[in-house]
Amino acid sequence: MSDFLISFWQTYNTLFYTIFIHGMLGLSIYLTLACGLLSLGNAAFMGIGAYTSALLTMKAGFPFGISLIAGGILPSMVALAIGIPTLRLSGVYLAMATLGFGEVVRVVLLNMEITGGSMGINGIPQKTELWHLVLIMGIIIFFFIRLRDSKYGRAMEAINEDEVASSVMGIRTTYFKVWTFTAGAFIAGVAGGLNAHFTYFISPREYGFEPAVDILTFAILGGTKTFWGPIAGSAILTVLPEMMRFMGPYRLAVNGIILLLVVLYLPNGIVSRGTFISLKKLFSERKSNA
Amino acid sequence: MKLPIRKIFSIFAVSIIACIIGCGKTDYLAEGIKIGVAEALTGPIAKYGVPIKNGFTLAAEEINAAGGINGKKINLVVDDEQGKKEEAINVFKKFIHKDKVLAIFGPTLSNSAFAADPTANAAKTVVFGTSNTADGITAIGPYVFRNSITESDILPEVVKMAKNKLNLKKVAMMYGNDDAFTKSGYDIFKKAVGAEKLQVVATETFAKGDIDFSAQLTKIKNLNPDAIICSALVEEAANIVLQARKLGIPANIHFIGGNGFNSPKLAEIAGNASEGIINGSPWFLGDPNKKNVAFIAAYKKKYGSEPDQFAAQAYDALYIMTEALKTLKFTGSLEDARTELRDALAKVKNFDGVGGNFSFSENRDAVQKARVLIVKNKKFTIYSE
Repeated sequence: MSDFLISFWQTYNTLFYTIFIHGMLGLSIYLTLACGLLSLGNAAFMGIGAYTSALLTMKAGFPFGISLIAGGILPSMVALAIGIPTLRLSGVYLAMATLGFGEVVRVVLLNMEITGGSMGINGIPQKTELWHLVLIMGIIIFFFIRLRDSKYGRAMEAINEDEVASSVMGIRTTYFKVWTFTAGAFIAGVAGGLNAHFTYFISPREYGFEPAVDILTFAILGGTKTFWGPIAGSAILTVLPEMMRFMGPYRLAVNGIILLLVVLYLPNGIVSRGTFISLKKLFSERKSNA
Repeated sequence: MKLPIRKIFSIFAVSIIACIIGCGKTDYLAEGIKIGVAEALTGPIAKYGVPIKNGFTLAAEEINAAGGINGKKINLVVDDEQGKKEEAINVFKKFIHKDKVLAIFGPTLSNSAFAADPTANAAKTVVFGTSNTADGITAIGPYVFRNSITESDILPEVVKMAKNKLNLKKVAMMYGNDDAFTKSGYDIFKKAVGAEKLQVVATETFAKGDIDFSAQLTKIKNLNPDAIICSALVEEAANIVLQARKLGIPANIHFIGGNGFNSPKLAEIAGNASEGIINGSPWFLGDPNKKNVAFIAAYKKKYGSEPDQFAAQAYDALYIMTEALKTLKFTGSLEDARTELRDALAKVKNFDGVGGNFSFSENRDAVQKARVLIVKNKKFTIYSE
């Protein structure tokens, strides 16, 4: 048994690590989505965090913990700086502005000397361990549980439902929007730092447009009604392609079909009332048939 | 209806136990000599990954048809890594710990190799790159090999030869600055140009996916260089060459290209504009070497298209691996065999493949002669006369 477990763990540990990283990224975009903001800048924040912490551990010799925190703080500072002007935009316009920001970050990473340009940074020491991921994920989940019924959480929900009404009610909408944007950037940055320290290598192409959309998909597939949605969504989207490996070249097609079915039949995501109701129905039908 | 939970649970438990017993006894030679092939078979990088896979498959079929290695068949375990680093790591770990392969070929991109090769090196499993040309790949560790000769071996030769033949004095340079491959090509060109004391009149950049290069080319045209050095992938390269000729840059101003120019697609897209492109490669389609002619014929018969450099290097790589495998005794455990293979592979010298004479250097890089080529009648031929 232990042999089997060891070989299973050796084979799939990176996959588990990736589930945690993707979960954090899903949560980072959930924060802004919960406020009714469609931001596509999280891949860029992840990139800033990854480069910051990788450079700090490699060039400055900082301990892992400190470089991780720095990898969270720098992107949140950037988020604060760009959030104040851009968060006056909403919907598609905000999405475009953040997408543009993502491109800026990618091109800057490409052209800076210290980031290694398009060759990226190679030979990052492997520091991330499972307990780091579990601990940080635990802290983030605890934060989200506490947030849900707090003043901040309720304000976010109010803004999501109706921004004008909530501002009339005396909620400082811009303040809360900038706050969620910054906190989301912090989580994405830490996730980037953790990711950089187990994949040995980072390059600008990992933080471009495609990953930005991937992160959004985690949240949309899982559902954005509660924070469990993005966690479930990212876990599913990470494990599914690996489980479909036996399908050979068609595995991504199957992946796409499953996504399509979820969107068609569970438009609010996997963790939503829709799933709950259909599960209930399924079981009650079975009962009446028996 | 009550679900038979106990029954389901017991079936589950039995199957797990069966699997453990089954897995525990896996003899690593039971299904032949297992070798993992991790390449990008889907996504944008697939255009490089698929020919590589084809090259391996063809070589494996030939070797097995000829009786295998001391009677044992080669069993290629092929898996897709999509050109993404996490995927490459996952596939490598699956190969090493689950499929229990003896060695791994791949991954397609140098970027993925930087992420995945340390995994194989830590597990003391040979990883053999056939398309990784970036600096520092083999420095990852003693289990990392490659037979792709790097651009830093080829491009200086190309620049030197072109300078001598065409009496170059001043050149213009162009490169894609958002891609590791084209950027590193440019860096090497720049060094080579400096070493040959050529004057650079302009350095222009573009991005992957650009289709209009007239701004850069007009500027270059006005500066009137003797040649244009260009580090681009094949799509952009073809467009650049086409547009340059359309803008009236005369044909006696040759293009000198990096490794990205090294594709039959270039002449296909650019047509007559491709005449006179100078390029370097360890392998080319028109090489009359007997092994190469046979390889091209077999490849065409099986896949219906001409092989490219990547297919040729993969094909050679499996034969190089075979040289090493022939000397193995397979007496010990899988771990022993993996280490023995590493030592045997490091000793391969003077292998005669489709790309000519090949040896591994001390650092497990390729030692192979670069050939300078020029496009004539839409075909690459040896540049000499």
